[in-house]
Amino acid sequence: MLAWVIRFMVLSIVVSMVRVVIGPTVADRMIGLNLVAAQTLALLVLISVSMERSIYLDVALVYDIFGFVGILVMTRYFSGKKGEL
Amino acid sequence: MDLRTRWALVRFGITFLSLFAGWLLFTWSLDSGSLLAGGVSSLAVSLVTYPIFVEETEAGRRAHLPRPHMFLLFLAALVFSMYVASFRVLWRILRGDINPRVVHFRTRLKTDIARVVLTSSITLTPGTITLDLDDDHLVVHWLDAQTTHSRYAGMLIKGAYEKLLRGVWL
Amino acid sequence: MNVGAAVFLGLGVLFSIMGNVGVLVFPDPYTRLQASSTCTTTSVLSFFIGCMFIVGWGPMLGRLLVITLFFFVTSPISAHIIARFAWKSGVVPWRKSFAMKRHAERRDD
Repeated sequence: MLAWVIRFMVLSIVVSMVRVVIGPTVADRMIGLNLVAAQTLALLVLISVSMERSIYLDVALVYDIFGFVGILVMTRYFSGKKGEL
Repeated sequence: MDLRTRWALVRFGITFLSLFAGWLLFTWSLDSGSLLAGGVSSLAVSLVTYPIFVEETEAGRRAHLPRPHMFLLFLAALVFSMYVASFRVLWRILRGDINPRVVHFRTRLKTDIARVVLTSSITLTPGTITLDLDDDHLVVHWLDAQTTHSRYAGMLIKGAYEKLLRGVWL
Repeated sequence: MNVGAAVFLGLGVLFSIMGNVGVLVFPDPYTRLQASSTCTTTSVLSFFIGCMFIVGWGPMLGRLLVITLFFFVTSPISAHIIARFAWKSGVVPWRKSFAMKRHAERRDD
């Protein structure tokens, strides 16, 4: 069952990349990226649980931190250039 | 030893205990080597960061000594209402009828961390997202708005959370 | 693999599908953010709870608790950051009455 959930999550990440590609505004693309980051975190945790390696959970935690910092940096960068969007 | 030094020691202790609890939870072992490494590294980190972690003012004292049993009750209520509201949003997505509005209201919570936790729990509950928090004035985007009257909308959105959070942080 | 794990993994899959559908069909950034942040947060939390049921008492439970706690803190804050960015950069929220009025005007022409 866990293997099928992992396959479903990969498919779901691919589907949510559609909003990153077609999004009309910058906020839409950031919403898509946030969605992809959250689902990738769930995918990493599921993979590490199915392989029963606790060391892989460290990768998931660091990925979570960097996804959060990435969203923060992107908003700081784009809020400076309001007229160019 | 005057009052300021004693308060600095207490702040240092709070920071050290939080870091060490995180270390224990993350390594999940009681080896002497692991405990020694965690103790030394959290001592070093808390020496540098304790003025940031707990502020020196009165607000810092109020913010970091909460009532833990009330906080656990709040977390349980939050997770339960997350699931209930998720099913409601799921039904809205399936039927496709939404009535989004932006409502403004005020909160009566006093400390900063209580306001931030209120904002986060409003965002975490499906159906509402906090757009802006200015002092005690919240701007909230509401997916199925029943009213735009400020006090009534505030009562519907933040009602139970604010009552529970006043028990935790004042 | 026990019953609790199966129930929570199924809930996670259901909310994940609905979050993706909501992001694709909703009309403006705020409503898309509602669907994405909230349904996906609930789905990821369900996956974590299901994983906790699977691994049981042991060293993996501590790390799962740390990851869940961190996700519980960062997920609403990143949603709030995106919403605040959209609000400050002047994206106009979609309203039901606007769409219906525009539809009526077009019918009058």
